[in-house]
Amino acid sequence: MSDTLRFKRVLIANRGEIALRIQRACRQLGLETVAVYSEADADSRHVHEADVALCIGPAAAARSYLDPDGLLLAARMTGATAIHPGYGFLSENADFADAVEAAGLTFIGPTGASIRMMGDKITAKQAMRDANVPCVPGSDGPLPAAMEDVHAVARQVGFPVIVKASGGGGGRGMRVVERAEDLTQAVALTAKEAQQAFGNPTLYLERFMQKPRHIEIQVLCDTHGTALWLGARDCSLQRRHQKVLEEASPPGIAPETIAEIGARCAQACRRIGYRGAGTFEFLYEDGVFAFIEMNTRVQVEHPITEEITGVDIVAEQLRIAQGEALRIRQEDIRLRGHAIECRLNAEDPFTFVPSPGTITRWDLPGGPGIRVDTHVVSGYTVQPYYDSLIGKVIGYGASRAEAIARLRTALAEMRVEGVATNIALHQDLLADPHFQRGGVDIHYLERWLAERTAS
Amino acid sequence: MSNPPELVPDFDRLPEPGEISQIATWLAEARLDSLELSNDAGLRLRIRVPAAAAPVEKGMASEPAMPQAEAGEGTVTVRAPYFGKLCLTHPMRDSVFAPVGATVGQDDVVALLTLGSLQVPVRAPVGGVVEQVVAQPDELLGYGAAILQIRPDQD
Repeated sequence: MSDTLRFKRVLIANRGEIALRIQRACRQLGLETVAVYSEADADSRHVHEADVALCIGPAAAARSYLDPDGLLLAARMTGATAIHPGYGFLSENADFADAVEAAGLTFIGPTGASIRMMGDKITAKQAMRDANVPCVPGSDGPLPAAMEDVHAVARQVGFPVIVKASGGGGGRGMRVVERAEDLTQAVALTAKEAQQAFGNPTLYLERFMQKPRHIEIQVLCDTHGTALWLGARDCSLQRRHQKVLEEASPPGIAPETIAEIGARCAQACRRIGYRGAGTFEFLYEDGVFAFIEMNTRVQVEHPITEEITGVDIVAEQLRIAQGEALRIRQEDIRLRGHAIECRLNAEDPFTFVPSPGTITRWDLPGGPGIRVDTHVVSGYTVQPYYDSLIGKVIGYGASRAEAIARLRTALAEMRVEGVATNIALHQDLLADPHFQRGGVDIHYLERWLAERTAS
Repeated sequence: MSNPPELVPDFDRLPEPGEISQIATWLAEARLDSLELSNDAGLRLRIRVPAAAAPVEKGMASEPAMPQAEAGEGTVTVRAPYFGKLCLTHPMRDSVFAPVGATVGQDDVVALLTLGSLQVPVRAPVGGVVEQVVAQPDELLGYGAAILQIRPDQD
């Protein structure tokens, strides 16, 4: 980077493995780092290695990592002129992004306006429709009053459909309709329930996706009109909406299919003037993609995309924030090999109860194609105040089978003592024949866990 | 529960400004930040007392300000209630708030943390004699950093 940098010192408004990941990218680009931390994280690795470290509050996130005023004051006191929010915490808080820029600092992420647009499901979906990004087919508004018109909508959307109350939410006020002959009764019943439960009988309907996979597209956009898509990830293995294991590229989906949806995402970014890294999340079933939401930040699972594209996503975020133009073109991006990430949590592998405590032994795996992103060192204490992610083991291989084999060997090499971890769960998943075949849906892991408990 | 009539007036009418002012003073003395009164007729009054160093002092009277007797030494460490540059002298009077040997009362301001134009007071968690100043003036202190040590009054 040149001498005319917009910023030379970056405040990392996060903790854990992502704080260290951002710090590494900053150092590789010759940027200084400021670590702000809560009292509970005083002994963190990125805190020791920062150019400036400042304790900004107690363990409670509301008074440290989630305190926008405190973070802005900390930037001022430490001379940082850019803030990287990481993921979680304030990373998708539009008001914070605006406040950072209003203070004359650089927010390493999209504009507050973009974050706000994507944070609201209705405006996000509208923006996607306008940009030709496929959304769940549906009535696109309230159901018409005449029943024959409702039937026409449902036929066009395609059965099965799900009838939902506008005022509903949290799994209430909705009914799945498999066949056209059940539609009339279902609409009448749901409207009545919606009136009673929410005081609003307004309904809409959408295609009901029964066994969708979670497929997402990584994008990277500069401020000079270039928007790239960096392949897709499959994050279908989830428990309680938390991703457990992710892979890139999604097995069994034709590269041309991914390329088409990827190009649409990049086009949508150009259209809305998106800046920085982002992820379009989709449900995917029977060849149909349906937009769910856009994450306007770097994601936990970004390393698998880095492995198959060779692009350092965090470094690119920093360069984009400096105002530089992306040096890679879409045609330079080749998706090579296969990468899988296992999220390691300090938790019981069977009950999932968090297991905070001091890690007394921490032997990491190695060898070709193995990457470990972690802030943990031997003697590190896993705090009970934050999430239990202690690291990510990423396996890369020329083929999916090779990536799996490398990961299984790597996990078998790991020795962790002092806290419980979910390594055993990952080992079981990687050995599972359905997983090995590839393409399981988003309900697979929960079903698999239920069966494991039953047997 | 019933309030002593001499403390809080019957709430059938809005109190006079003088009464509100008196209640606010009591709140401040009791280190409470607000009081809300309401009656069956829907009349509602909320009296809020601004914190001494708003906005950054909000909810900050917790952990680091807790008196912690240092084992074996019998002194209490005064810790930074926020982060900021340490200022040991009164900015207007050029006098040291709490030099070594000074006697301070509980809640006395013994230092300031400055953050640009903001100033956060550092208060003594106990009364006693300042035994040692452990932080350097103008140092950027983190939350919870030790500033000085007080040997508490013998009770």
